[in-house]
Amino acid sequence: MRIARSSPMPGFGLAMGITVTMLSLVVLLPIAALILQGASLGPSAWWAAVSSPRVAAALYLSFRLALFAALFNLVFGVLLAWVLVRYRFPGRKLIDAAVDLPFALPTAVAGIALTALYAPNGVLGAALPWKIAYTQWGIFVALVFVGLPFVTRTVQPVVEELDREVEEASASLGASRGMTLRRVVLPTLLPAALTGFALSLARAVGEYGSVIFIAGNIPLKTEIAPLLIVIRLEEFDIAGAAAIGLAMLAISFSMLFIINAVQIWSRRRIGLV
Amino acid sequence: MSDIPVPRAATEESRIVRLVLILLAVGGLAILVAAPLIAVFAQALSDGGRAAVASLAQPDAWEAIRLTLIVAAVSVPVNAIFGIAAAWAITKFDFPGKTVLITLIDLPFSVSPVVAGLCFVLLFGSHSLLGSWLIGNGYPIVFALPGIILATVFVTFPFVARELIPVMIEQGRAEEEAALTLGASGWRVLRTVTLPNIRWALLYGVLLCNARAMGEFGAVAVVSGKIRGETATMPITIEMMYNEYLSVAAFSMAALLALLALVTLAIKSLLEWRYADQLAATRRH
Repeated sequence: MRIARSSPMPGFGLAMGITVTMLSLVVLLPIAALILQGASLGPSAWWAAVSSPRVAAALYLSFRLALFAALFNLVFGVLLAWVLVRYRFPGRKLIDAAVDLPFALPTAVAGIALTALYAPNGVLGAALPWKIAYTQWGIFVALVFVGLPFVTRTVQPVVEELDREVEEASASLGASRGMTLRRVVLPTLLPAALTGFALSLARAVGEYGSVIFIAGNIPLKTEIAPLLIVIRLEEFDIAGAAAIGLAMLAISFSMLFIINAVQIWSRRRIGLV
Repeated sequence: MSDIPVPRAATEESRIVRLVLILLAVGGLAILVAAPLIAVFAQALSDGGRAAVASLAQPDAWEAIRLTLIVAAVSVPVNAIFGIAAAWAITKFDFPGKTVLITLIDLPFSVSPVVAGLCFVLLFGSHSLLGSWLIGNGYPIVFALPGIILATVFVTFPFVARELIPVMIEQGRAEEEAALTLGASGWRVLRTVTLPNIRWALLYGVLLCNARAMGEFGAVAVVSGKIRGETATMPITIEMMYNEYLSVAAFSMAALLALLALVTLAIKSLLEWRYADQLAATRRH
């Protein structure tokens, strides 16, 4: 193998062959099919499909609520990571393990469980003064659930490796604890927290299973973009589905791109790179 | 209690702040995570345990469980083999474009499952050239088992590779190179040196991959066509039963998947506690 000549290891051809073949067949070819189908519509037809009130409302709803949920998870996730690493209290290990439940629990199960809880006759739904299920609040709750572990899991290792001496130095120079946390600790956690935020956001924008049960799915109000793709497919409107799919693909790719850039910037700022 | 208050360390929050933060963390998780989990089992058992078990013995439920097991039995080994091959190529060799390759492997994580399903419908659906040719020759992909498996492989694609790559980077190439100079063949090196070194990370990745494969909903909902008794996996059957107001049946099957999630979490935590040094990526998922 010419390109891998520097290594004496065998099997480059086979391993690379399996990797590239599977990547192409399972991931790249299907995504290319979507891009081609979207491109064959032409820009004006694509724009017309995406900017129709119902589609625009769905895209805006998915993106906006995903952003709110990811912001909630950013704050709660950092808090959770801090508490799990720095404090000792009974049940800490159990809680640490429980953080991952949203990753392990199938989204459809989470969806019907949240609906049962927050429906007007559910345990939490009856106790709360305002309606959660079948409103945008319900979508928010579901998106918070599925994105919950990301920030905690990216920030936790950074908190573990924090140098206590830096905090001591800050304290000995007269900073209050709050000031130390704000000026010394939080900036160090920021790159990891932003990574978790990005993952949480990307997951929430495309989330389907946990949302559709609790959302109520009223067009223009609580109808998320992935559901609209499913509806278009059920109407055999392949072009319409592809138009929305392409828009979502573009949104998630550009979001990842922007957030990667922000992350590189924040790492540079605190001197990690 | 002594009369003189013990000064707290300069690097600790005050007692009251700590208490409030712990209560927020525990309370938040209780409402956000524990409550839904309890709700699944409470709803499943709302008519008693016998009704729950009886609903799972229905032919449609049985067929869904069988289908889900088949899908996982195919897609998880496929992803394990892919993960080992990709990690071998990426960590044992230097070649241009490595970063791009890693990014492409991670790509399915940033694609909505519904969009993933849509991609397969566009590629293999009856309106496409490839799809109509395949259907004409008696090999339907979409609305059939192959499509469900393909969609599942897509959404679980990075799981094993992402666990193996950091571990294998950390372990380096020295042991394999030593085995090679002693005359071992490539396969023997993989079997007797590499695989034992990565076994816990591999198990970890396979575990997460399996949980996702058995629970995937969005992508499968799009490619399966939701044909009862034929292409309805467990999560799809949950949706059908729920929409037909068969609450006990829906939640009983959900409870089955929730049990799977709990077992997955238990084994995962066990692996993290016992073999933390052999799992470079423990904290990422």
